[in-house]
Amino acid sequence: MATSDETDERVGETYRRRARMRVRRTTRQIRRAARPAWDRVRFARQDLTAAVPTLPRVAYLFIAPFFVLFGLFLAFPVAYTLYLSFFEYQGVGEGSLFWIDLGPVYIEIPQIAQLSFVGAGNYLRLLGNDLFWQSMFNTSYILAIQVPLMIGLALALALALNASFMRFKGVFRTAIALPVSANLVAYSTVFLLLFNEQLGFLNYVLSGVGLGPVPWLTSEFWARNTIIAAVTWRWTGYNMIILLAGLQTIPQQLYEAAEIDGANRWEKFRYVTLPQLKPVLLFVVVLSTIGTFKLFAEPYVITGGGPTNATITIVQYIYRQAFVNFNLGYASALTVVFVAVVSVFSILQIKLGGED
Amino acid sequence: MSGINITELDKVYDSGTENVVAVEGLSVDIDHGEFLVLVGPSGCGKSTTLRCLAGLEDVTDGSIRFGDEEVTDRRASERDVAMVFQNYALYPHMTVRGNIGFGLKLSTKLSGDEIERKVESVAEMLGISELLDEKPKALSGGQQQRVALGRAIVREPSVFLMDEPLSNLDAKLRSEMRTELQELQTDLDVTTVYVTHDQTEAMAMGDRIAVMNGGVLQQVGSPEEVYRSPVNRFVADFIGSPSINLLTADVEGDTLSGPGKFAYELDDSDPVAGHDRVSVGVRPEDIKVVESGRNAADVTVVEPMGNENFLYMEIDGHELTARVDPTVRPAEGSRVAFDFDETALYLFDVETGDALKTKTDSVDSAVVGATEN
Repeated sequence: MATSDETDERVGETYRRRARMRVRRTTRQIRRAARPAWDRVRFARQDLTAAVPTLPRVAYLFIAPFFVLFGLFLAFPVAYTLYLSFFEYQGVGEGSLFWIDLGPVYIEIPQIAQLSFVGAGNYLRLLGNDLFWQSMFNTSYILAIQVPLMIGLALALALALNASFMRFKGVFRTAIALPVSANLVAYSTVFLLLFNEQLGFLNYVLSGVGLGPVPWLTSEFWARNTIIAAVTWRWTGYNMIILLAGLQTIPQQLYEAAEIDGANRWEKFRYVTLPQLKPVLLFVVVLSTIGTFKLFAEPYVITGGGPTNATITIVQYIYRQAFVNFNLGYASALTVVFVAVVSVFSILQIKLGGED
Repeated sequence: MSGINITELDKVYDSGTENVVAVEGLSVDIDHGEFLVLVGPSGCGKSTTLRCLAGLEDVTDGSIRFGDEEVTDRRASERDVAMVFQNYALYPHMTVRGNIGFGLKLSTKLSGDEIERKVESVAEMLGISELLDEKPKALSGGQQQRVALGRAIVREPSVFLMDEPLSNLDAKLRSEMRTELQELQTDLDVTTVYVTHDQTEAMAMGDRIAVMNGGVLQQVGSPEEVYRSPVNRFVADFIGSPSINLLTADVEGDTLSGPGKFAYELDDSDPVAGHDRVSVGVRPEDIKVVESGRNAADVTVVEPMGNENFLYMEIDGHELTARVDPTVRPAEGSRVAFDFDETALYLFDVETGDALKTKTDSVDSAVVGATEN
């Protein structure tokens, strides 16, 4: 075996050498012919590649930046949040976590924070906290109305834009998708002004047609709906674009086959469009659910979480605990629970909706 | 009882800036139970014609009648047609059972049990009973093809429309399905319009063949008719494999003289009277390699097929193909003399391509040549 391997290797080497010579010869031939500047750059680069010696394992160096950044800004914070959720935060760290003395170089990593261990204390605390349950309820309420409303609207718009009789498709598509590019705080402020009870445009129009002013921001019921309206306005176009792309991948022949099988408009939608669009719909539903779960800027700007905490969302509650009250340990526990709830929701949706 | 009458059918696509004429003035009558094949090169309007019959395209002008009923303006679902698509167009999320039964479920008042019985009997007829609970993506191309056929058959329509249904199958399966389809069509006795770009398939399957080119119907006739008596050069060139040999020749009295000292003396010069130049056509099987003769060509390639040899020759840069006996095998590069009978000769007008003279030899050899491959 060994000898045949050696022979193979020798033959391989001879072959490679010949191939290299052949390549060089052809390269020279090509080079002799008049070539555009771009090709000369390419040849120069190839010559340089051949001249520079190959370092062993240099590839790891090239892929290192991703892993360093990923570890520093993603993996570590996630792990540290989980760690922090079992402690109570008492102040910024003093003294060093560890140090390395390499003679001329001395590296010291300072302690991040002063912590005292509380075990499952933070988790027990949140279970007994009314505001936590209130924020969970608010988030779920907004989610239960906003996500179906928005996806229904997005699907209807996508179907309309996909219809063959529709004109100026590009204009409508852009106009409807535009809100997604609006700055969160800026558009929330616009909504705040539109829905202002005394000076807002909406109440001005309503009173113009003889309807009384609606307490958009001061009634618990209307405040939630105001938030729902704002979020729906911003994200409907985005979801419509995704659904429209999904619609366009459905083969036309399926509709023709259904037409010949005697399907009417509704039956084509029910038996061709919906099943074909299912993977895309699932994607949109999961994405929207996660997005609405993370709702923060709109209630923060428009209602400030009020009235009487009727629109405080879970993320807003976490924000208050972490950055207003500096209960970092407790906020971490909230975050862990929040991530768990979102994950369970998403997995359930995928399990229920994606059996194919 | 339902034949099809198509009268002066026009289909124009209006793209806003320009009109594209896909079908122009097409008229054809198809008898009940007939198997008509629409054949032509891509873009000739054959598929558009079929889609007009199906009701998937609006007709610009003209009328379509199924039996006694005018269906020109009817929707596809109201025409009682079934269609088999080139890529089958099976519903991916439904089982085979669901796919076959879907049309019955939507357009009939049959109960679930009755539909089930019909689906199962059709599946049995096509030999796909054990696949009824599979999804289409789990099936091979041939099996999907059968499901698509089943979906058409189960409806018991008055007209079958088939749009290149065999072109996605491999060669062996295609010829098997060809026979099976023909048997099925004969058994069911349903008027069938079948579109293909493959002239072999057209010859093999059609009761009659309708040859189309550039949106215009060229000729309708039995396979023998379009092969032996093409109305023009296009039909002669399109039908037959390998294609007919065509040369342009000058007419001097009763002598035709073409490139590379090609010359042929006609016994009967009536067809070329009044023409200075004509297109000369000879089918490959009518070219005979002879010991000595007036015409000669250089052999470039010999393809031995076992039962016959294909000779590819050149005469002053013009290609010439001959189908000869397997015993005739000249060396490549050699020069051979060839000849052909005047009865096997086709002559066409150089400008219009209209036929001046077609085959008049005995039917036997020609028919064998036409349907064999």
